[in-house]
Amino acid sequence: MAATFGEMSVRQIQAGLAAREFSAAEVARATLERIGAADEAVHAFLQVTEDLALAAASRVDAAAAEGRLAELGPLAGVPVGYKDNMNLTGTRTTCSSNMLRDYVSPYTATCVQRTLDAGALPIGKLNMDEFAFGSSTETSAFGPTRNPWDLGRVPGGSSGGSAAAVAAGLVPVTLGSDTGGSIRQPGSFCGIVAVKPTYGVVSRYGVVAFGSSLDQVGPFARSVEDAALALNAIAGRDELDCTSQPCDVDFTANLAEGAAGLRVGVVPAFMEAAGLTAEVRAKVEEAASALEAAGAVLVDVELPHAQAAMSAYYVLGPCEAFSNLARFDSVRYGYCDPGHADLGSQYEASRERGFGPEARRRIMLGSYLLSAGVYDTYYYPAQQVRTLITRDYLDAFEKVDVILAPVAPRTAFKFGEIGDPTEMYLSDMFTISINIAGNGGMSMPVGLGADTGMPVGVQLIAPPFRDANMLRAAAALEQVFGPAPVAPAFADGKAGE
Amino acid sequence: MRKLEEVLRDWEAVIGLEIHAELTTLNTKMFCGCKLEFGADPNTHTCPVCLGLPGALPVPNRAAIESIVLAGLATNCDIEKHSMFYRKNYMYPDMAKNFQTTQGPVAFCMRGHLDLDVDGPAAGERIDLDGLAAGESRGNVTRTEDGYVAHVGITRIHMEEDAGKMVHLGGGEGRIAGATHSLVDYNRAGTPLIELVTEPDLRTPEEARLFMQKLRQIYLAIGISDCSMEEGSLRCDGNVSLRRRGTTGLGTKTELKNMNSFKNLHDGLAYEICRQAEVLEEGGVIYQETRHWDPTAKRTIVMRVKETADDYRLFPEPDLAPYDLTDEFIEGVRAKLPELPHEKAVRYAAAFGLSAYDARHLVEHRATADFFDACMALADAGKDGAAFAKPLANLVINDVTGYVNTHDGSDGAPAGFDGVFARLTPARALELVGLVADDAISSKQAKEVFAAVIADDADPAAVVEERGMRQVSDAGAIEAVVDEVLAANPDKVEQYRGGKTGLIGFFVGQCMKKTQGQGNPKVINELLAEKLG
Repeated sequence: MAATFGEMSVRQIQAGLAAREFSAAEVARATLERIGAADEAVHAFLQVTEDLALAAASRVDAAAAEGRLAELGPLAGVPVGYKDNMNLTGTRTTCSSNMLRDYVSPYTATCVQRTLDAGALPIGKLNMDEFAFGSSTETSAFGPTRNPWDLGRVPGGSSGGSAAAVAAGLVPVTLGSDTGGSIRQPGSFCGIVAVKPTYGVVSRYGVVAFGSSLDQVGPFARSVEDAALALNAIAGRDELDCTSQPCDVDFTANLAEGAAGLRVGVVPAFMEAAGLTAEVRAKVEEAASALEAAGAVLVDVELPHAQAAMSAYYVLGPCEAFSNLARFDSVRYGYCDPGHADLGSQYEASRERGFGPEARRRIMLGSYLLSAGVYDTYYYPAQQVRTLITRDYLDAFEKVDVILAPVAPRTAFKFGEIGDPTEMYLSDMFTISINIAGNGGMSMPVGLGADTGMPVGVQLIAPPFRDANMLRAAAALEQVFGPAPVAPAFADGKAGE
Repeated sequence: MRKLEEVLRDWEAVIGLEIHAELTTLNTKMFCGCKLEFGADPNTHTCPVCLGLPGALPVPNRAAIESIVLAGLATNCDIEKHSMFYRKNYMYPDMAKNFQTTQGPVAFCMRGHLDLDVDGPAAGERIDLDGLAAGESRGNVTRTEDGYVAHVGITRIHMEEDAGKMVHLGGGEGRIAGATHSLVDYNRAGTPLIELVTEPDLRTPEEARLFMQKLRQIYLAIGISDCSMEEGSLRCDGNVSLRRRGTTGLGTKTELKNMNSFKNLHDGLAYEICRQAEVLEEGGVIYQETRHWDPTAKRTIVMRVKETADDYRLFPEPDLAPYDLTDEFIEGVRAKLPELPHEKAVRYAAAFGLSAYDARHLVEHRATADFFDACMALADAGKDGAAFAKPLANLVINDVTGYVNTHDGSDGAPAGFDGVFARLTPARALELVGLVADDAISSKQAKEVFAAVIADDADPAAVVEERGMRQVSDAGAIEAVVDEVLAANPDKVEQYRGGKTGLIGFFVGQCMKKTQGQGNPKVINELLAEKLG
């Protein structure tokens, strides 16, 4: 069977459209059919947006008919899926929560709008951990997403649906968001390219906030070039997000430069970290050797305060989440527990029943950490730690262009295997410090782990607003390890049998 | 309950104010592009940002930052170049995000002050200045000839957003108690609001009232708000506690709300001071609580007791970067600072020899001060300006203000200062006071001419001409009238000469009557005095 559209690259789809081998409408319809057939096994999608996809396709086809295909943006005719914390007018934006089960967006997030402006076909909304609280997609109120490489294992999280949809070849590109590792960790677990740009590269306007100072939107794809093209579409200053920054970089520009002369930092403390499995460590070392062989210079760098990142994160993240989630109060929208005579009990019951356990845990944690007398003990020191970690990275980037590290300490685990929340939090031990510091990080697939046979990603970390550095290093690894394959059970149009 | 003046003999009141002003003169809200408009249909000026929809983010309104810096410069504050927005977390349906964006420990404006001129009866509430000679100071007060100047510290002015407006249905008078439904209008949500906090430097309800009046004049002069206390664009809360005269500790304070006029501010504080004194004198305890001033019942009632401090879980707003104001920005705002009302008053007194009372009343409204300035500019171009200042001031303070206070426009006649000054132009005003100065008409006739100018949109000279109102100042013509009056009332002349000098009014009145009101009273008085003497 021929490759499905979801298995094609962005360039392949656009070449086919240009050559009139197929229309955008055919791309949209075939992708919707493919999702209909294969997503039952994966459960990446919470909703498909057929009408929107077909309408966008007809605009692309009209442009193609007039010979204006090249004028459309970098995602012309490409099916794109969105994490379900991204607003898209007329679609439900549930954040995988009962709280927002029926919430329909009256406006569109900037990052989503930019993909539409770039010609993308909006194909649907993707499953996630509830309000992005989690590392396995198991906290979704609508059931977990399964890892296409092994349906008995988690896809990672919180952007598990975004990662699994690409890994199963359902769509070539999806968007996710990353607060402590929520793009990179599922990218690693599902064996695809997953990019969290520097904080400020992509507008957060219209993305339901978890930790405002940590959240960043980024793309999933199966090739570095596809991820770079998607990033080209969504990056840049947005007047509606005053933390967004101007960005006129072409992220595809230096993908072909190779690793020659690239200074690649390795953090010995990460490589020796307790909990890092042998198979992941071996893969990171293999990637380091590959880069060195391609002409890169390996340099040991220290991040002396990185071990405090986890503690700082579990102060700052819940504090911001507590405040960001306060708006879900049952009054104007969202779940409203019926039959209450007074406001207080309606608030209480609606929030108790509307939010799942992990969301409630983080809200209560944040509420406690910000309360009088406690604030000075936790929040303030956490901000100080943040400054120290940011300096650590800036110091390290005096010596190197990019840092190579593990993404997650292990490959995808089995459903229910990790029940203890704090053990689950350790999934993000190598990713969190990057959100704390605000610079860019990505997961690059480098094959399968020797012990579990599951995909392993290595993390490439870039200096602030030098995200092109990590994409260049990733492209060099891609030369060695090859583009990310579709998970075997879904390759060539298979539906997970 | 004892009277305020008695209470203040035994107790010293310590008063601080928190004054909120909506920046109503801006076009858009604090963190989104929604239009600011009072009285629009509910929820028509809203967007994802001010409705707090999931995913929406704030973008600060630069013009609002300019306004607060202007307010800070006008109240002698230090402008903080580096400040941040914070989130004040509390849940209530009028606040869509369930947090209010406000400022933290460092506000845009810090450490300011206003000096209050307190004189006349207003100074009477301050009973602790005995033995203080003019020019001498005690605490924050300096004695003047006819009162004192109080130096009142301003702790800070910070920027925040207003909440939406709640309407409760089914209960009494829109109150929440007994209501069956509560509606929220988010048109007001996100309105830029500045909150000024004073130091606890005020000691009498009069000082509090004067502070509020002075601040309102300043805000109006710099044009940042319409300052309508009735419509709530200027709101004042008062914190008040008592201590025994001669002691320095601080008593437990209560917070007073709903003082939506200068009178209510004064009366509410006065009541609360007397109430606290009574409680304390009876051996009772003052609870830290929020009280509501009921102007109809003329008492304060408990709204809620604060057993513990509210925990708003304040933390820096991560969606807004720290704000750095450049010197260039601050100096640019400073260049926009107009002459302030109290500065104008000082200038009026110095340049035109006006009394402090007249000068203060002229600057009470921006419209009257602007009008006076325009008149004086015009007068200087022609005749000697200073000579016109006093009669012009009288015209504005008595006739114009009196007219505005008694006309609401419901009869179709001009209303408000704008309405009056559309007809009484500076040129006409000068003409009118000129007619009096030239003895062409009496000051009594001038009042009639003023009324006609406003009613008919006519020039004063034309009114005088048309009504044949020329004043008779010719001593010969008046003398004949005076003689006639005295001859007709020999008995009254006898009584006057017998010591009943009050009859002078009778003779003047008779003379005025015989001249159809056109006799110059000054000349009549002179002749009467001469002939009766």
